[in-house]
Amino acid sequence: MISLECASLIYDDGPTALADIALTVEAGEQVQVVGPSGSGKTSLARLLAGRTGDDAGTIFRGALTLGGIRLEFGDGVHPRIDPAAWSSRVGYVAQGAWGQLSMMSSTVAEEIAFAPANRGMSAGQLRTTVQGIAARLHLTDLLDRDPRTLSGGELQKTVIAAALASEPRVLILDEPFQNLDAGAAADVAAALERLRSAGTGLVICEPLVPERPPGHTRVLALEKGNRVFEGTLADARRAGLRRYGIALEGDPPRLRSRISGSAQPSSQPSGDPSCDSSVHRSGGPSGHLSGKSSVHRSGVPVTGPKDDAVLAELLGVSFTYPGKAAGTPAGISGIDFRLGRGEVVALLGPNGSGKSTLLQHLNGLLRPSSGSVRIDGRKLGRRPTGELAATVGYLFQNTDQQLFERTVLREVAYGPRAAGRKREAALEQARLALAEVGLLDHSGPHPYELDFVRRRLVAMASMIATRPRLWVLDEPTAGLDDVGRNRMGELILAHAASGGGVVLATHDTAFAHAVSDRTVTLEGGRVPA
Amino acid sequence: MSSPLTLPLQREASRPRRALIAAGAFLIAGTYLYLVLVQPTDIVGGGGSMASLVSLLGFLGGGALLVGGILPTLTTSSLVVMPLGIALNIAIGQTAGSLGLQIYLDAIGTVLVAVLAGPAAGAATGALSNAIWGLFNPFALPFAAGAALIGLLAGTAAKYGAFRRVYLAPLAGLVVGAVGGLVAAPVAAFLFGAAGTVGTNAIVAAFRAMGDSLLVAATKQGLTSDTIDKLIVFTLVALIVYALPARARNQFPFLRRNRVLAGRTPATAPGGAGE
Amino acid sequence: MPRRRIFNPLTELLAAALVVVLVLVINRWQFSLVVLLAGVLPAVLLSGKPRSIGLALAVVAGPLLVSSLVLHGLFFPEGTSVLAQWGPARVTVEGLEFAALMGLRMAVFSGALLTVMMTASIPELVSTLTHRGWNRKLVFVIGSAVGLLPSVAIRAQHIRRAQEARGLVVGGGLRRFKALLMVSTPLVTGLLVDASERTHMLEARGFSSTARRTSYLPDTDSAAQRAARWAMTVGVVVFSCLWLAIGPAA
Repeated sequence: MISLECASLIYDDGPTALADIALTVEAGEQVQVVGPSGSGKTSLARLLAGRTGDDAGTIFRGALTLGGIRLEFGDGVHPRIDPAAWSSRVGYVAQGAWGQLSMMSSTVAEEIAFAPANRGMSAGQLRTTVQGIAARLHLTDLLDRDPRTLSGGELQKTVIAAALASEPRVLILDEPFQNLDAGAAADVAAALERLRSAGTGLVICEPLVPERPPGHTRVLALEKGNRVFEGTLADARRAGLRRYGIALEGDPPRLRSRISGSAQPSSQPSGDPSCDSSVHRSGGPSGHLSGKSSVHRSGVPVTGPKDDAVLAELLGVSFTYPGKAAGTPAGISGIDFRLGRGEVVALLGPNGSGKSTLLQHLNGLLRPSSGSVRIDGRKLGRRPTGELAATVGYLFQNTDQQLFERTVLREVAYGPRAAGRKREAALEQARLALAEVGLLDHSGPHPYELDFVRRRLVAMASMIATRPRLWVLDEPTAGLDDVGRNRMGELILAHAASGGGVVLATHDTAFAHAVSDRTVTLEGGRVPA
Repeated sequence: MSSPLTLPLQREASRPRRALIAAGAFLIAGTYLYLVLVQPTDIVGGGGSMASLVSLLGFLGGGALLVGGILPTLTTSSLVVMPLGIALNIAIGQTAGSLGLQIYLDAIGTVLVAVLAGPAAGAATGALSNAIWGLFNPFALPFAAGAALIGLLAGTAAKYGAFRRVYLAPLAGLVVGAVGGLVAAPVAAFLFGAAGTVGTNAIVAAFRAMGDSLLVAATKQGLTSDTIDKLIVFTLVALIVYALPARARNQFPFLRRNRVLAGRTPATAPGGAGE
Repeated sequence: MPRRRIFNPLTELLAAALVVVLVLVINRWQFSLVVLLAGVLPAVLLSGKPRSIGLALAVVAGPLLVSSLVLHGLFFPEGTSVLAQWGPARVTVEGLEFAALMGLRMAVFSGALLTVMMTASIPELVSTLTHRGWNRKLVFVIGSAVGLLPSVAIRAQHIRRAQEARGLVVGGGLRRFKALLMVSTPLVTGLLVDASERTHMLEARGFSSTARRTSYLPDTDSAAQRAARWAMTVGVVVFSCLWLAIGPAA
């Protein structure tokens, strides 16, 4: 159906994005492209999507063959691909759904109809087309919803549906499961599998080797633009791809500095860390360990740390968001929560269970409707969030919402500057934090010039730079590759070992069990007894 | 080579509809000259229906003609940033309010689009911005021509290097603001009796107390408030544009073709951010 | 929510615009008052949401009305019949009359347009423009800007919270300027990164096609309404010409 022969793909400013790579995708076939951040997955996906133009900022040498037509590139020959014609054969779903919404559709149905309406399809036919696609993706119930109020998984399916409206035979998807919880990811995966079995060819780019896809999936592994593996999914799982920074989904992180019992700080509040499990860092305060992937539920305040050791405390905290419109986040009710120095607690639970709401009470982004919050021994009261930044560090799920400086170093130095440090001292603290996350060599460029994983680590460094005792991390591993995830785990353990406390909300249970002392599972805004 | 998958190598640039643009510019200029030079002094005498009608239809119609002439020439990438500019005009205006700022900043989006995508896109953004804003705040509607002019001038200033040095941007803002204030004054005077906001009304009242005619008072008020506002807006846009990553800038050929910004590396980018 | 949906939004919008033109042409406070009481007020009351329209009017037009009453009521150098005087401030009959004229004009202006816009469905308006064959670029810019607005505001709010979490405390003077920069830079960057993806998406979805664009939403317009729009426009234009030719003499 489509085949790519890439001799080279080079960025305008020098580095090679993709080396010698060939890939052919047939109808009904699934190819999984895996590789760490910056390995060239997105470049490969864009080539397949026909984005070879000079406006891509890259120079492509090679050939693309689509439906029997061969286009050669290089040596002064650069055919301009007609994006509309190409997309009616090869659909592309890029990373981040928001940029792919037209923003002029008030319903999902209109968004799906956007492409055929542009081509002048009649109203009756539009309706049939939209209904057909919605049925294939199980989207029919959402057709009248406003796309801007959908959850992550629903939005992803909408964007896929909008690409399908041009009736492509092959669909290219760049990290379609990023930021989805397990349920939503399974839903999207099931929809894709229905498409594939009906004959659509799929190319899916992901940082990890997934568990989900059917056994006959082919895997192409990339590292620094080179092909390091190509073969069946079963072989890929055995190929030891981790040396290239490609882990298997569900693997626990590899933590060099995994803290053994003896290395634990004496202030460790949760009692004797039970080291019988290689997965859990330690048992919960109630002592019992949950097995493997089953969630470890602990009634939270069972054995609280002594008061002077308490870093954060929520007592009977409830919060409801105003408004009942669709898309209003979940509130919480009657939450008791304590975190001691040196303790790591992971919050688990599906989307909408109130994890983020709970986290935002820890630095005053939200103030409880009832109940009380104490941070580091002091009542939160009405202190503005900005003044808490030196005590509580908060890592948001969406890193890109905060980067505003022209260099990584200045970005990281902002926190100390805002806390009143002199310029030189602030820069020194920033360098220290960058060294801790391993980005000292990347302090010069614009934060946005770094890849996703490094941007996430820049955000981590800017949080660390003010030396807060309490870390609050919202989905710290979302979208990270193996290397980034391991680094994140090590940072958390090191912080706890130095007497700090960490609360993280995550869908990544393997990670949660590897780094946390105990896990708290939220359901519908409560901790079930 | 011809294939169903490729486009001809030469891009066909759609020609601007010069007649429409010229007619729009002529209408706006004519309206302004009529209002100022012919001076329907009977503005306060009750017979000013002609003047107010002319200011509404002339400026609104001129703006519409400009947009009609400009739109077909715009590339998809310019077209896509225009809604952003419009939404920013309104949203940053609101954020400014929630941060407690006393300036309007309702032209940030227009100036941003003008700097990134050129004077034509800037002018269209300004005009459409006020037209759309007019849906929520009808008082913005008649100022569409003034906003188009701001976008046009900002883009032209950017084209000729006003953003290559950060200290030039506020100067350009000052000049553009003065022109914008001049153009907006008759609309405010003839259509709404110079009503702007409570703050600007106070300035008008001060000039009126000194015996100025309504048009002169409105013009003096426009010259004071708009220059300050645009000075701040231009400075802000310059700082934002220099802080943009290459990835966000690269989609705009206008930036590259006209060397709108100095240097490419962050090290040579001038200006500190309020430190 | 009860909603008044009698005519297509385009028809209603045009009617409101023509009322405004009439008020400008006739230019008598008595006429404006009649329009306000007999036209705008019933429309607001029958709209199904008089409270929210009233609130919007109070927020948008209220301060302007009050301050222009003060402005012209106190400072009107052209006025001759002085009613009261404090230093430079003089209350004159002419000033009050002018204030009433401008105030009523603004009230009609904002009342008519806001009532239409707050009851009309924007998607319906956008789809009507498409059905009537308006330039697709124009329709895109209008539809997309209106669609982006709420999400830009929400995004700005998120960014502000993220910046507060890392130490932003909104202060005065230059620190406010810095705060504005800290919010608007990531906002603009994020929007532009989205925009570059949206550009590719539009191209891939055939936005550059020259075929006449169609709309998924049904056409709520009718031939009768189209005819009515033309008739209203022609009527107002003819009336205005006559009025302006005869009016000043009268």
